[in-house]
Amino acid sequence: MSTPRDVEITVGYPALPGLEDRLEKRTVKPAEGDAAPWDATTKFTTIGTDVDRVDGLQKASGRAKYTYDITFPGMLQAMILRAPIAKGKLKGLELDEASRMPGIGAVVALKDLGAKVRFVGDAIAAVAGTTLNHVRDAIEKIRAEYDLEEHNVDYVVATDAPLLSATGQIEEPWAEAAELEAALKEAKVTHEATYRTEVQTHSSLETHGGVARWNGNDLEIWLSTQATFGCRGELAQACKAKGIDVGTVTLHAEFVGGGFGSKFSAGIEGLAVCLLAHAAKVPVKLMLDRFEEHTTTGNRPGCLMQARAGVDADGRIVAWDWRSFGHAGFTGSGGVSVPNYYTADAKKRTAHKDLNIDADPPRPMRAPGHPQGWFGAELFLDELATKAGIDPLQFRLKNDREAIRLDQWRFGAAKFGWDAARARKNEAGARFLTGSGLASARWGNLGGAGRGTPHGITCRIHQDGTVETRSGAQDIGVGTKTMMAIVTAEELGIPVARITAMTGHTTDPSGPASGGSTLTPSIASAVRHAAFLAKQTLVEIVAKHIGVPLSEVHCAGGKVGSGTAQLRWADACKLIGPNPIDERGKRHPNYAEKPFHASQCGAQFAEVKVDTWTGLVEVTRMFGIQDCGLVLAKKQAESQVLGAMIQGVSYALHEQRIMDKRSGRMLNGDFLRYKITGVRDLPRLECHMHSIANGHDSVGAAGLGEPPSVATAAAIGNAVFHAIGVPVRHLPITPDKVLAALASKKG
Amino acid sequence: MKPFTYVVPKSLAEASEAGKQPNTVLKGAGVDLIDRMKERLQTPERIVNLLPLKDELAGVAVEASGELKIGATTTIAQLEQHEALANPALAGLQAAAALTASPQIRNRATVAGNILQFTRCWYVRSEAFHCLHGGRGPTCLAMTGENRYHAVLGWMDCVRVHPSNLAPPLLALDAEYSTRLGDKVRRRKFTDLFPAEPRAQTAEHTLEAGEIVTAIHVPKPAAGTRTAYCESREKLTFDWATTACAVKVVLAGGKIAAASVVLGAVAPVPLPRPKAAALLLGEAPSATLFQKVAEAAYAGASPLAHNDYKLVVGKAIVREALEQATR
Ligand SMILES: Cc1cc2nc3c(=O)[nH]c(=O)nc-3n(C[C@H](O)[C@H](O)[C@H](O)COP(=O)(O)OP(=O)(O)OC[C@H]3O[C@@H](n4cnc5c(N)ncnc54)[C@H](O)[C@@H]3O)c2cc1C
Repeated sequence: MSTPRDVEITVGYPALPGLEDRLEKRTVKPAEGDAAPWDATTKFTTIGTDVDRVDGLQKASGRAKYTYDITFPGMLQAMILRAPIAKGKLKGLELDEASRMPGIGAVVALKDLGAKVRFVGDAIAAVAGTTLNHVRDAIEKIRAEYDLEEHNVDYVVATDAPLLSATGQIEEPWAEAAELEAALKEAKVTHEATYRTEVQTHSSLETHGGVARWNGNDLEIWLSTQATFGCRGELAQACKAKGIDVGTVTLHAEFVGGGFGSKFSAGIEGLAVCLLAHAAKVPVKLMLDRFEEHTTTGNRPGCLMQARAGVDADGRIVAWDWRSFGHAGFTGSGGVSVPNYYTADAKKRTAHKDLNIDADPPRPMRAPGHPQGWFGAELFLDELATKAGIDPLQFRLKNDREAIRLDQWRFGAAKFGWDAARARKNEAGARFLTGSGLASARWGNLGGAGRGTPHGITCRIHQDGTVETRSGAQDIGVGTKTMMAIVTAEELGIPVARITAMTGHTTDPSGPASGGSTLTPSIASAVRHAAFLAKQTLVEIVAKHIGVPLSEVHCAGGKVGSGTAQLRWADACKLIGPNPIDERGKRHPNYAEKPFHASQCGAQFAEVKVDTWTGLVEVTRMFGIQDCGLVLAKKQAESQVLGAMIQGVSYALHEQRIMDKRSGRMLNGDFLRYKITGVRDLPRLECHMHSIANGHDSVGAAGLGEPPSVATAAAIGNAVFHAIGVPVRHLPITPDKVLAALASKKG
Repeated sequence: MKPFTYVVPKSLAEASEAGKQPNTVLKGAGVDLIDRMKERLQTPERIVNLLPLKDELAGVAVEASGELKIGATTTIAQLEQHEALANPALAGLQAAAALTASPQIRNRATVAGNILQFTRCWYVRSEAFHCLHGGRGPTCLAMTGENRYHAVLGWMDCVRVHPSNLAPPLLALDAEYSTRLGDKVRRRKFTDLFPAEPRAQTAEHTLEAGEIVTAIHVPKPAAGTRTAYCESREKLTFDWATTACAVKVVLAGGKIAAASVVLGAVAPVPLPRPKAAALLLGEAPSATLFQKVAEAAYAGASPLAHNDYKLVVGKAIVREALEQATR
């Protein structure tokens, strides 16, 4: 192993079509024993190419086993009794009759007598039995009594909620801010408006839940989670707190049907299934039903947002005042983020207040706080630009301080045909109006090495030429396994088909949660490091075999050897013997040197068609450009962007939790009435992956799960504004709101 | 779901015998029924499956008289794709079938089941709520609760809407239905199938317990007949109509000689609007005329707190249906 050495690399990216190169030299110091960094000059064979999802066939054929599919002989099924009230105390809980019902194996209380009940759906007790029908019968025999208290599930009228006018504008006076107000006074054009969003649920296809099996004191659990190691620790502690003497805990989550931020914790359902299995002494399965999934596993909070701002004669933003109020459930945070790169030179202020209601609290959801904040801010900017007589794109180009996005705006606008789209006029009196809008995206994460134990990866090369790459972290459906296979294939110089990627078993090396778009940037260079070490071992074996000094042997292009003494990969691997090469790579810390781009940028463009008769908005086409450092798995990266756009269309036009105020219960907690975009509602979607060499570790990947979901609803909101000439400031943009906006225009 | 006895009849006679037993329900494809049973909103002791009676109940045929006979257990997809429906006089029925639910559901769900389905009201279809229509509470909860998808017309003490896509065009076409109860066979006008006074405590339809709908008959349309069916929705894929309208016009010499207008999804029953239709008689089609008809179709509407948008949308849909039928 050599000592740390300086390496000169090229960072940045070659010109986007029609624009200029943005390439720079950097000197970085990789850690001892790490692979030399890939950079903008690296010629890749597999990285950045279209590789099919490695587990696609398993998933499409049903051979992929999700937690939902796990079953054991003698396994019991379980359900949770949920509180029917939104607020109060548990006064009485009688479980005996339920536990005597036929087919019942275990009943456990999940709430103590006298404890607070915080929302409809709060967990009270859990029951395990032979079939769900037995369990359901037993649950009906549980007598739970409550002391009722007044509740409120509408954040708009929560204590602390701002005063609203009849048209939904915040009327509360702004707190004093002398300098900002002076800047507003001096501004040439000013604007003020209120925006609002509704609660969106995560709606993962696989609901939360698990299958638990105890072997003496050792717990084995299959869990639908996006944090295998976090949940393992959480469950060990939670079971101990319940008086169980816990030995080891092994957690499996090989396939996970989505999480979107709602599955960081094992939750009450995770604990309940462990307790039931412990009490029943047989394996137990507890998966939430769709209603529980909608109502007890978090959400993207709704919020009220208000902005006032002004521009100077040049169209530059000189003053920016922003406040938001987010619903926080009975606890948690309803935080809202706003873009800060438009207002770098402005006198500015942002303020946020959480509003508590007696409902299921928010959980992080794909770019928490962002889609809602960007919707408000970007629509506000278009209204302001329109007032100032400036085209929205020009307005962005004038005010956006992020150089990479300026390239993206220009490239995206050309690709989308922005100028032509904006110049097209709707015919007077036409029933269908078209319009176009754009919006920006931002995220900031380059991953990390892990706290305490660094993230690790196992790479094994077998004598039959196959390779394993293994992480104990989970693939929640985004394509982590595929990414791992691609990086390994690239490092070893062999086809992806030889590689098996495995995720989700805590018996493999530890890795991060799938959150904050950190998983790929945090493990990609560990995957590479493991492959790099395994390759070195293979090279040593081959060197010995052909009798050539180690330094002269290379492994590339499916061959291992030196000069004319080359072994094909398969032949080289035959030298390994029955025990595979088994190396453990680790994630080294990010280089101390400044990366080329420490965050992620994106821009999206949308075109809509609005039916002025029925108020229905159809998104007809969208284009998105997104960077995420080095694009590793191009197809899967595109799927992330297109998928985020699909989810964004749904958020913009359809999704909203509708609550019955009297009971505090969600009315549309199913997939019939909780409306999610379907195929016929989708626009023609296109995206461009903007690959950037960041130079922050040996791979240079940045996160991608969240950034592309930031801009979509905002771009659609702006397109609707352009089409009908009045803004619809309240998501989702349903027909009733479009018709009300059109009516307001007529006066 | 509670355990029940599953009756698989070998003949219609056997089915109608079984259907007369107490606490027994008839099942088409079960798309609607099983949903409610899973929620334990309906807990029958016996279920009589009608699907095996293919010879007696399934299929579409054009009779010698020119009448179209639709077997009760014909699937929505079979109806939609039947060649007899490729006729401008039946275009409304075909469109209504094609717009229903999703391909999977259309391939399973039966025509009779669609017409006889229970309302979609989110209060009555939830085991957590106790309302009058569900027979478990004193009042209609939607009337004073959340009602964006509820009735704007023709409601009394319950603001549910009738969700069937197929009922409005069948009413517009003056369809009839045949039933069998025990040995009794009857044939009646479609209007008789729905309660004249749709109160909370009246069912969605007027059938007696155990009465089996065996077929639906669409009389031979007069020459020059055209129908159309349009609906408004919140999304294009797999959504329920927020308002719907089926129209029939008979055009003769550029004038409308006969007409009917039936609204769906806005009242507790599919709602014929004869006064609105009468405005069309003797007139030539025009945008102004259609606007007038649309206004008349929604005359006397009483929207609730969250659904006055239905009036604007509903009128647009009446106009659109009339435009399509006269295009
Ligand atoms: C996701 C989804 C979306 C949907 N969207 C739409 C839509 O857009 N438009 C629409 O109209 N519908 C829609 N539906 C409803 C669907 O069309 C009906 O549930 C279906 O048609 C019912 O038919 P079935 O054969 O399954 O009836 P079943 O569920 O078997 O029966 C329904 C009722 O009719 C009775 N019944 C059935 N057949 C007979 C008979 N021959 N004689 C007497 N009584 C009988 C049963 O006793 C029961 O009460 C949707 C349903 C779902 C699940």
